[in-house]
Amino acid sequence: MRRYETLFIVTPDSSEEELKAVADKFQGVVTGMNGKVASYDEQGKKSLAYNVKKQSKGYYVLMDYLGQAEVVAELERNMRLDDRILKYLTVKLADQVDPATVEAVKPKPKKEAEETEVIEEEAQPPEAQESEEEETEED
Amino acid sequence: MVTYRRRRRSFPRRKVCRFCADSSVKIDYKDPKLLKYFITERGKIIPRRISGNCARHQREITMAIKRARHIALMPYTTIQPH
Repeated sequence: MRRYETLFIVTPDSSEEELKAVADKFQGVVTGMNGKVASYDEQGKKSLAYNVKKQSKGYYVLMDYLGQAEVVAELERNMRLDDRILKYLTVKLADQVDPATVEAVKPKPKKEAEETEVIEEEAQPPEAQESEEEETEED
Repeated sequence: MVTYRRRRRSFPRRKVCRFCADSSVKIDYKDPKLLKYFITERGKIIPRRISGNCARHQREITMAIKRARHIALMPYTTIQPH
């Protein structure tokens, strides 16, 4: 089995129930095709970088799952047909995954958000004294 | 001839790929905060010769930015730069 993740955007004017319905629907698609949902993470409402279907905001949802390639095809077909989905993106994470090693967790909204706080600091070159280094190289 | 060479060069600060320097930073398309650092104000990807990334990491960054653009986490372009 392969491991995929699909990040998709749900239309911002959807209610709690609709989000729930979306969650059930797409998890059902995966499990219905012998896939396995590893995590389903609603990342909340975020503003989009550009308007999609005249919307400037959307609920981002990240679904991590295992399955064959057909699962992806079916899932994406369903997303294309569903008006509540603005956009989706599927990425393959691993080629060969033993489904036994990944437990199917359903209600698990929080998987530790890996904050990369290192962004702010400039990458300082380890050799700060470039001039000296250059000289020794060339002389 | 050493001095000659040195004078002509306007000392480009030797840049080191920050992802090679710190392997704990993961390049991920879902992290626009990190990727933002590698685009211009207009949303263009900053070339390797400016950003100082190594080839491999620049490739990963490019990939991640393009994915992030597709899923509307990052802009393809900003029409009116502030």
